[in-house]
Amino acid sequence: MILLAEHFVRAPQWTWYILFYFFFAGVAGGSYVLATILRVAGDPGDEPAARLGYYIALPALVLCPILLTADLGVSWSRFWHMLIDTTPGETGLNFKYWSPMSVGVWALLIFGFFVAVSALDTWARDRQGRAQGLLGAGLGRIFSIVGSIVGLFILSYTGVLLSVSNQPVWSDTWALGGLFLASGLSGAAALITLLVRYRPEASFSLERLRLADGYFAILELVLLVAFFATVAVAGSAGRILPWLPLWVLVLVGIGASMLGVRRPARLQASGESAAVVPVAMEATVVSILVLLAVLAIRAAVIFSAQ
Amino acid sequence: MTNHWRDIKNADLILINGANPAEAHPVGFQWFMRAKLDPKRGPGSGGGAKIIHTDPRFTRTSAVADMYLRIRTGTDVAYFGGLINHVLQNNLFHDEYVRHYTNASFIVKEGYAFNDGLFSGYDPAKRSYDIATWSYETDPTTGYAKRDMTLQDPRSVFQLMKTHYSRYTPDVVSSITGIPTADFGKVAELVGQMGAPDKVMTIVYAVGLTQHTTGGQLIRSGSLLQLLLGNIGRPGGGMNAERGHANIQGNTDHAISWDILPGYLKIPAPGQKNRDDYVAQSASKKQDPNSWNFFGLNYKKFLTSTLKGWFGNAATKANEFAFDFVPKPASNASWMTIFDQALKGKMQGVILSGMTAASIGPDSNQVRQALANLKWLVVMDALPTTSSEFWRAPGVDASTVQTEVFMLPTTHWIEKDGSFVNSGRWSQWKDQVMPPDGQSRHDHWILSDLFHRVKALYQSQGGKFPDPIMNLTFDYKDPLKPELDELAKEINGKDLTTGKQMTSFALLKDDGTTTVGDWIYTGSYPDSGNLMKRRGGVQDPAANDPTGMGFYANWAWSWPLNRRVLYNRASADLAGKPWDPARPGITWNGAKWVGDVPDYPPTMDPADPKAWLPFIMNGEGVGRLFSNGMADGPLPEHYEPVESPVQNPLHATNSTSPVAFYYDQAAGRPNRFGTPQEFPYIATSYRLTEHEHYVTQHVPHLVQLQPKPFVEIPEELASAKGIKSGDQVRVSSKRGKVEVAAIVTKRLGPLTVAGQKVYQIGIPIHWGYVGIPADNDPSHGRYWLANALTPFVGDASARTPEFKAFLVNLEKL
Amino acid sequence: MAPTIKAGESYGFFTDTSICIGCKACEVACKEWNQLEGNAPAFLDSFDNTGQLDAQNWRHVKMLDQVPDQSITSGNGTAWLLMSDVCKHCKHASCMEVCPTGAIIRTEFDTVFIQQDVCNGCRNCIAACPYSVIGMNQQTGTAHKCTMCYDRLQAGKQPACAQACPTQSIQFGPLADLQKAADVRLEALHTQGVTQAQLYGRDDTVYGGLNAFFLLMDKPETYGLPNAENAVLPSRNNIGGYLGALVTGVVAVVAGLVAFRRRGAA
Ligand SMILES: Nc1nc2c(c(=O)[nH]1)N[C@H]1C(S)=C(S)[C@@H](COP(=O)(O)OP(=O)(O)OC[C@H]3O[C@@H](n4cnc5c(=O)[nH]c(N)nc54)[C@H](O)[C@@H]3O)O[C@H]1N2
Ligand SMILES: Nc1nc2c(c(=O)[nH]1)N[C@H]1C(S)=C(S)[C@@H](COP(=O)(O)OP(=O)(O)OC[C@H]3O[C@@H](n4cnc5c(=O)[nH]c(N)nc54)[C@H](O)[C@@H]3O)O[C@H]1N2
Ligand code: SF4
Ligand code: SF4
Ligand code: SF4
Ligand code: SF4
Ligand code: SF4
Ligand SMILES: [Mo]
Repeated sequence: MILLAEHFVRAPQWTWYILFYFFFAGVAGGSYVLATILRVAGDPGDEPAARLGYYIALPALVLCPILLTADLGVSWSRFWHMLIDTTPGETGLNFKYWSPMSVGVWALLIFGFFVAVSALDTWARDRQGRAQGLLGAGLGRIFSIVGSIVGLFILSYTGVLLSVSNQPVWSDTWALGGLFLASGLSGAAALITLLVRYRPEASFSLERLRLADGYFAILELVLLVAFFATVAVAGSAGRILPWLPLWVLVLVGIGASMLGVRRPARLQASGESAAVVPVAMEATVVSILVLLAVLAIRAAVIFSAQ
Repeated sequence: MTNHWRDIKNADLILINGANPAEAHPVGFQWFMRAKLDPKRGPGSGGGAKIIHTDPRFTRTSAVADMYLRIRTGTDVAYFGGLINHVLQNNLFHDEYVRHYTNASFIVKEGYAFNDGLFSGYDPAKRSYDIATWSYETDPTTGYAKRDMTLQDPRSVFQLMKTHYSRYTPDVVSSITGIPTADFGKVAELVGQMGAPDKVMTIVYAVGLTQHTTGGQLIRSGSLLQLLLGNIGRPGGGMNAERGHANIQGNTDHAISWDILPGYLKIPAPGQKNRDDYVAQSASKKQDPNSWNFFGLNYKKFLTSTLKGWFGNAATKANEFAFDFVPKPASNASWMTIFDQALKGKMQGVILSGMTAASIGPDSNQVRQALANLKWLVVMDALPTTSSEFWRAPGVDASTVQTEVFMLPTTHWIEKDGSFVNSGRWSQWKDQVMPPDGQSRHDHWILSDLFHRVKALYQSQGGKFPDPIMNLTFDYKDPLKPELDELAKEINGKDLTTGKQMTSFALLKDDGTTTVGDWIYTGSYPDSGNLMKRRGGVQDPAANDPTGMGFYANWAWSWPLNRRVLYNRASADLAGKPWDPARPGITWNGAKWVGDVPDYPPTMDPADPKAWLPFIMNGEGVGRLFSNGMADGPLPEHYEPVESPVQNPLHATNSTSPVAFYYDQAAGRPNRFGTPQEFPYIATSYRLTEHEHYVTQHVPHLVQLQPKPFVEIPEELASAKGIKSGDQVRVSSKRGKVEVAAIVTKRLGPLTVAGQKVYQIGIPIHWGYVGIPADNDPSHGRYWLANALTPFVGDASARTPEFKAFLVNLEKL
Repeated sequence: MAPTIKAGESYGFFTDTSICIGCKACEVACKEWNQLEGNAPAFLDSFDNTGQLDAQNWRHVKMLDQVPDQSITSGNGTAWLLMSDVCKHCKHASCMEVCPTGAIIRTEFDTVFIQQDVCNGCRNCIAACPYSVIGMNQQTGTAHKCTMCYDRLQAGKQPACAQACPTQSIQFGPLADLQKAADVRLEALHTQGVTQAQLYGRDDTVYGGLNAFFLLMDKPETYGLPNAENAVLPSRNNIGGYLGALVTGVVAVVAGLVAFRRRGAA
C-alpha cells in the first residue's frame, strides 16, 4: 500500500550501535547462507570457502547482541526483558509476531545456536579431518539449510524492523528487507573473498564468489530503484538527498560487484598460486568497496529518517 | 468589583477593557467561559454571552473572545465616550433607571462650563481645579438639589452630558482610538441592546485603565455607560475591577494608601480640631429628601469607633476620642511622592514589605537612585529582590552606595494563615500551607516587635509626641506574636458595654461604647466565630445557592455585611420587581427584600413615598453621572497620554491632562519626557500569565515557561527595521533603556490615529537583575527592568503612574 | 466536579481548544504531580518555550499564531490556536504494537501506560508513536510519557492537568460522557457559524479512536496531527516488508545456486 504519509514522529535516535549491529547481522547471515550454498550446491573444491563462511558467521554474530544491548537505555540488566515479559501478573515469554524487533530477538537467539554448532562442526572437520562433520552428512546438510533459512531472516528483518514504524522513509517503503538481504549477501561474498588469502585452497571459489556477488549486486540495484520509487511517491525523497555521498558510495560498491558478472574470464587462471596475487590485488579493492557499500547503505537509510 | 467573579456567568455581554483576564486572572476567567458556553446568555436571542476584548495587543484573552478590537493605549475615554454618545443619541438608555436611579435629573450650578478641554475653575499656576462650580443648584428653602424629572432642563446633568458627549462621534472616536468606524459600529450595536431591562452587560477592567494619567476618568466613563444602561447593581452587570495580588483588595480596604483610614474614611486634614470638623469636611451631604445618605450620616460613628478601637481608654469624650493622635498629612504621600522625596534626600529610611520598589517603578533608574539616597533601607521579604540587591546590581559600584540595607526574612503568604480578599470583596480565610522556612518570621510579628522596641525608646527617652505610641491598644495573648485570628476579631469590632462582637456597622456608636478596626468588616467575626472560614459551596448548591444566581452566601464572607452585589437595590424597579425576573438581585416580596443581602433597609416598602432612593451610601441617593469627587473633572474627558505621538484631536491646546502631576517639574528638575521625533513609537507594559511580577523569577517551572525577557514588535515595523524573532533589540525612552530579545508578531499591529500611522510595542514587566534568568545570563539582567522606560508622572486623583502609555525608540542590536 | 472513577471503565480527555487560554497550568500541574524537573530553560522565540512533548513534558500547550493583521478579529479560538497536547491513549496504539518487552499496557482504566520497571529503553515505541509523544528519560534510560495519572486514577482522583485547567478546556471523564459533551459543543460552534471547528479522534477514524480526543479549530495537519488517511499503524508494513524480503531471498538463493553450481572442475 502506498500512502502520502505526513509524519509528525520523533526519531528514536538509533545510531552507531544499531548501524554496526545491522552490518554484522548482514555479514553473519550472509556468510552462513553462502557457506551453505557453497557446500550444498558447489564443487568439493568449494568446501574450504564454505568453511571460511561458517567461521566468519560466528564472531560477526557474537557482536550482534553486544551492540544491541549496548544501545538499550537500560543496557545489561534488562536485555532479557525482550524475551521474558516481566509485567506483574502477566509474566511469560515475549513473542509478538507483528513486532519485527520481538521476532528478531528470538531469531538472533536461534541463529546463534546454528552458527555456533556449524562453527564447531567446521572446526571439527578441520581438526580431526572428519569429512562428515559432527552431525554426519545428511543431518549436517539439513541442519545448515535450516540455519540458512534463519540466516536469511536475520539478513532481512532489520530492514523490515525499520519499516514497521511511523518514521519517514523507513515506513514509506516495502523494499528495505530485500535491500538489506541482497547487500548483506554481496557483503558476505566480498568478505569471504577478502579472507581467502588466509586459506589459499579456498581461492578455488574466488571466481564463483565474485560471480555471485555480481548477481546480488544486480538484485540490490533493482531493489534500490524500488526503494527510491516508493519513498519518492510517499513524498519523503527530500530526506534522502542530504545523504547523497553515502548513496554514491553504495552505487560504487554495486558497480564494483557487477564487474564480476561482466568479466569472469580474467579469473580463469586461478588455482596456480602465481595467478592468485594479481587477482587478490583487484579482488581486495573490490571487496573493500563492497563492504563499505554495505555499511553505507545501512547508514544512509538509518540516518535519512533521523 | 461592584459584583464578583462568579457573577460574570450571568452576563449577556462582557466588555473587557484594560484587562487581560485570561493571562492575569486565569482562574477567575472560567466565569467568562461559562457565560460564553451558556446558551441562555447573549445579546438578541442568546446562544452564549459575547465577549468583546479591546486592547492594544491581541492576547490570550482575545484568542477566545468573540470580538477583538485593537485600540491605541490611553484612549478608552473616547471609546466609552463614543458608546455613551451612541446610547444617548439613539435613546438606547434604560429610561426608568436613568430618571430615578441616577442624578441625570439634577440641575447643575450656573457657572459650570467646559471649553477647549478645560472645565470651569482651572488654575494654571497650581495646575488644579477649584471645584466650586461642579455642584448642584440647590433649593434655598430645603437646601436640597433641584431636579427636573423630564430631563429637559439645559442645565440638567442629562442635557449637559448629552452635549459633552455629542463630540464623541464615531469618526472622532476612530481618529483618537484607531478603531475603524465600521468596527466601532459593530460594538455600539451590541452595547446598544444592553439598555433593555432583560439584558445585562458587565464591564471588566484592571490596570490597563488605571495606569494612565487619566486613570480615574477612564474607569468613570465605563461606570457612566453602565449607569445609562441600567446595569449597575444588577447580577451580570456592574463595573468590575480585577484586583491585583491575591489580597490587594484587602490591602486597600485596610487603608494601605496614604489618603484614607480603614474602610475608606478620609484621612484627617490639617486644621481639623475635632471629629465634627472632620466629618464636616469629609462626609457626603444629603442632597435629596429621599436620600438616606447612610455613609455621611454614620461617618462620625465609624471614625469614633475606630479611634476607640485604636486608643482604648486613652480615647475619651473629653479628648475627642484622641482625634489628635491621628496624623493629618499636609501634603500628598502617595507611592511616587515617597520616592520623589527620597530622591531629593528628604527621607531617612524606607521599609519595603512585600514590594520591590526598584522593579515596580516608574522610572526605575530614578527610583534606584532614590534608594541610594536613603540612610537605611529595610527589606522584609522571603526572597532577594531587586530592592534588597539594588546596591550591588550590575553596573552599580557598591562602594558608592551609602544606604545601609537590612534584609528581614519574612514568611511567605503560603507560610501563614489569614485572609485573602478577592476582587469580589470575599474575605476568604486560608490555612498555613507550609511551615516557616529557616529563621523567617511573620510580618505582623516583626512589626509588633519593632513597635515594642520603639515604644520602649519613647518610654526611656520621651520624645516629641509619645501619646499615640504609648496609648495604642495592643492586648493580644502574646503582644510580640499576635495571632491573625485575634486581629480579625479586633477588626470586626465589639460592643464595650455587652462585651459582645458587633454584628453590623449600623450598630456602631459615636459615644465610645463600640470599637471597630475596619467598619466595612463588621459582621465578619461575630460571637459565633470567624465567618471567613465558611465553605458552604458547590458541594450543595441547593442549600448554598437557592436563587441559582451564584451568591453562595455561606461561602466565606464578603463586605459589606456579606452582600455579594453592591447597590443591589438598583437591580429591581421602583416597585421592587427585578428588572429581569430571570436574573433577580433582590426582590420585594410584600414584606421584605429577598435574594442577595439587600443594600437597603431589609423591610422598607418601596411603595412608601418616604422610601429611600436606591444608592443609600451617597448624598444624592442615586448614581452619579456628574460628580465633584474627581480632581480632573465632573465628566470624563479624553486627554492624550503625557507622552503621545499625536495632538489631542478634540483640543490640541489642552492635549494632555491639565492636572496630571509632574514630579520632576514640581521639584524644579526638567521633566523627563520624550518627543515623538526622538521616540516615535508607542509602548505599553503588561504581564504574562507565566509570571507573577518579579517573584516568580525564582521559580524553576515558571522560568522554563518564560525564560527570558523580550519585547513584542509589530511585524510591519520589525521588517522595516530588519528585526526577526529572537534578535536582540534596544528599546529606549527619555529615561532609560532595555536590551532584550524581540518577538515579532501580528498580534500587535499598526493603527491610524489622527490621520497618521502609529505602531505600538509591547513590553512585559517581569524581568530584572534578580532570579534564575539573570543568574544564567552574562549581562546578569543589567538592562531588563521594564520600568527603566516608564515616565514618573501620575493621575491627578490617584497619582497612579502612567505605566501603560509612553514613547520609545527601537533599534536592532 | 470529578467523576467517581471505577476500574474497568474507559476514561479519557476531551480537550476543547476553542476555550483554551494557553495558561499552561496543565503543563505545570503535570510536572508538579509527576515530579518532572522539566528541561533547561530555553527561549524559543515565542510564547511557547516548551516546544514539544517529551520525557520532561507530558503536557505541551501548542501555540500557533495565525492572527491576521487587522484591527478587528474574531478570536473564538481560531486566530491564535491554543491546544494542550498530550498522549492520545490511542485505542490502536502504535507504541504498544511495537514494544518488544510488553512494557506498554492498557490499564484497567483503558489508558496506555508504560511500566517503568519493564521498559528497557529500546526506543521502538518512539519510532512508532505518530504523535511524537514519547521521550527517553536520561536518568532512568526508559521511555516516558503521560500516564493519564495512573496513580491518581487508582486513588479515585482525576488527572492533575484536568483538575488544574481553569476553563475546563481539558475535561476528564468516562469516554462515553466526554463524547456526548463534545458533540454538543461542536453543534453549538457550528450553529454559531464557527464552521472550521472539528472533532479529532472522537470517532474511530484515527487509530480506532483516541481516549484523549480534541476539538480543533483548524485542520489536524495545522496542529501537527496526522489526518485520518495518514493515521496508520506500524504493523501495516509487516506483510509488504516480509514479502519483499522473501521474494528477494528466493531470487538470491537461486542466484547463489547458479553462481556456485557444480561445474565439476579440478
Ligand atoms: N500571571 C499574572 N497574573 C497577575 C499578575 C502577574 O504579575 N502575573 N499581577 C496581578 C496584579 S498585581 C494586577 S494589578 C493584575 C493586573 O491585571 P491586568 O490589568 O489584566 O494586567 P496587565 O497585563 O498589566 O494589563 C492588562 C492589559 O491592558 C492592556 N492595555 C494597556 N493599556 C491599555 C489601554 O489604554 N486600554 C486598553 N483597553 N487596554 C490597555 C495591555 O495590553 C494588557 O493586555 O494582574 C494580577 N494577576
Ligand atoms: N511598568 C509597569 N510597572 C508596574 C506594573 C505594570 O503594569 N507596568 N504593575 C504595577 C502593579 S499593579 C503592581 S501590584 C506592582 C507589583 O509589584 P510587587 O508587588 O513588588 O511585585 P511582586 O513580585 O508581587 O512582589 C511581591 C513581593 O512580596 C514578597 N512576598 C510574598 N508574600 C509575602 C509575605 O507574606 N510577606 C512579605 N513581607 N513579602 C511577601 C515576594 O517574595 C515578592 O518579592 O508592579 C507595578 N509596576
Ligand atoms: S495565581 Fe492564584 S490568585 Fe492568581 S489566578 Fe492563579 S490561583 Fe488565582
Ligand atoms: S499517542 Fe503515541 S504514545 Fe500515546 S498511545 Fe498513541 S501511540 Fe502511544
Ligand atoms: S522503549 Fe520501553 S516502552 Fe518503548 S518499546 Fe522499548 S521497551 Fe517498550
Ligand atoms: S494525565 Fe497526568 S500525566 Fe498525563 S498529562 Fe495530565 S497530569 Fe500529566
Ligand atoms: S490549563 Fe487549560 S486553559 Fe490552560 S493551557 Fe492548559 S488546557 Fe489551556
Ligand atoms: Mo497590582
